[in-house]
Amino acid sequence: MIVIFLVSVNKALDLPIKWTILYVACLTFLYVKIYFLAMINKVCVLGAGSTKYGKLDEGIVEIALNASKEAISSAGITPKDIQAGYISNVFGVADKQVHMAPVIMSNLGIPYVPGLTIESACGSGSVMLREAYANIAAGFYDCVLSLGVEKVTHVGTLQSTTLFSYCSDFFYEGGSGASFPGLFATIARSYMNTFKATEEDLAHVAVKNHENGLLNPKAHVRKKITVDDVLNSPMVASPLKLYDCCPFSDGASAVILCNEEFAKKSGRQYVEIIGSGRGASPAAVQGREDITTIPSTIAAAKQAYAMAGITPKDIDFAEVHDCFTIAEIIDIEDLGFFPKGTAASAVTEGATRRNGAIPINPSGGLKSKGHPIGATGVGQVVEVFEQFTGNAKDRTIKDAEIALTHNFGATGASAAVHIFKKVK
Amino acid sequence: MSETKQHQQSLVSQKFIASAKIGKILANRCLNCGFTMLETIYFCEKCFSSTFQHVEFDGVGKVVTFTIQAVTPEGFEDVGSYAWVVFKMDNASFRVSGFLPGIVTPADLPIGSRVRVSDYDPKHGLLLKKI
Ligand SMILES: CC(C)(COP(=O)(O)OP(=O)(O)OC[C@H]1O[C@@H](n2cnc3c(N)ncnc32)[C@H](O)[C@@H]1OP(=O)(O)O)[C@@H](O)C(=O)NCCC(=O)NCCS
Ligand SMILES: [Zn+2]
Repeated sequence: MIVIFLVSVNKALDLPIKWTILYVACLTFLYVKIYFLAMINKVCVLGAGSTKYGKLDEGIVEIALNASKEAISSAGITPKDIQAGYISNVFGVADKQVHMAPVIMSNLGIPYVPGLTIESACGSGSVMLREAYANIAAGFYDCVLSLGVEKVTHVGTLQSTTLFSYCSDFFYEGGSGASFPGLFATIARSYMNTFKATEEDLAHVAVKNHENGLLNPKAHVRKKITVDDVLNSPMVASPLKLYDCCPFSDGASAVILCNEEFAKKSGRQYVEIIGSGRGASPAAVQGREDITTIPSTIAAAKQAYAMAGITPKDIDFAEVHDCFTIAEIIDIEDLGFFPKGTAASAVTEGATRRNGAIPINPSGGLKSKGHPIGATGVGQVVEVFEQFTGNAKDRTIKDAEIALTHNFGATGASAAVHIFKKVK
Repeated sequence: MSETKQHQQSLVSQKFIASAKIGKILANRCLNCGFTMLETIYFCEKCFSSTFQHVEFDGVGKVVTFTIQAVTPEGFEDVGSYAWVVFKMDNASFRVSGFLPGIVTPADLPIGSRVRVSDYDPKHGLLLKKI
């Protein structure tokens, strides 16, 4: 309306056309800016907590509550401040608990606070975080609990392998004998064949992540390994061997998300979420034109970078989804850190180590820190929080101010990317 | 060989299975835009129409990628060494995946090897054979 009015005023006054264009451009810019400022509240991470990842003796609810309690205390709040709970979990049924959210909320002493349980396979944590983020951004809540949990190790290797295969497009994949290591092994073979990468290149991802995980007291597999150890480890699904794979892990991670006003009022250190993106890919590997890339990662990253107004060059470190060594190589290309086909040699040359050009998975990643699938996406945010609040000890990435988390479900059928800024 | 139909919710995978049992891959050709996709897809990826014509393709193609599973899921513990294979169909634009028994080392199945659909087994899914 205003634009039409201005155009007609311009016409009536017989002003040059370039003035009209300038007016219209300025107004559109202001309108868009005001619209977004009005729509989106800034979302912050005010506290974070994690159990150790690994084989845990506690039941799934207890594991979840332990991480929640740590996050609540880290944020300096009480459960009374929590207006909603977002809980990610995949295989609660394996420990006889589905409909997790109300059970968690009740045990936190807030049974009348609404909770929601979200499943998105190995990407559940980040997909859930995105929903929690969106609800604060939209103004529905000021402060929420965002919690991921998993407990599977008690069922053993065969049962876990079988349960995880249900996260594939089962009619075409799990039902014909593909396990998750198997699906990523087909991706690895395709990548290695296309870009002439080697098993040694993949091994370097594992060696680097184990090196980082050794510095993480909460990591599942804390063990220094060499390239030879990886190459000589037992075959799981060729070409992927034991040390190319993340382990089956139990564990929980939680963060307290809130709006900026709430964070500022707390007077505590916090981290701001400046970008959030979601993406999708065909569910089955056979449905992908190119098996050496994950479209959901590319889409989610593009949205997150655009929202944050930055490029991959601005990221100081990233926690990425290295469920298998090949996944990390593909992730760091799809996220824009390395051109397609070059990440394997970059990793081998040390570019992704803690002191490299772009440190990847300083926490140890899924490979060493572990992969309790419902918790992993939140665990990555816990690492960012620890890094930006001075609690990452020997893992600290010096002078880091902007970090990215990337987490996907299954073979990348669903993905989420988030970007975080240190608030000084 | 071909039949015009609206997608019926039941029987979709059963029809796919019936074709697989005779070595064929059942696909849907979109009557609106001509795009061909697997039988189990309900709406055309290109134009979102759901009016399809059934087309059966010979289940023959070239291996795009594969793995040999050492740690297997339930139901595959006692089948001996096998590969899970993705192959590109000879006469269609899409890829299909399945279970190929008897593969022990990667040298048994160089990329580009030819395979065909041999059966569908409720326990092991789409069965393939090397040719
Ligand atoms: C690789 C795999 C088959 C091994 O499982 P497993 O046989 O149950 O392993 P176990 O629990 O018997 O562990 C045997 C030993 O290897 C270690 N280990 C297990 N998995 C490991 C891994 N992935 N990396 C390094 N060490 C591992 C264990 O700590 C244990 O060591 P210990 O004897 O010193 O305690 C299993 O970890 C796996 O399938 N991982 C992939 C999980 C997955 O698909 N996740 C979803 C990703 S999308
Ligand atoms: Zn169509």
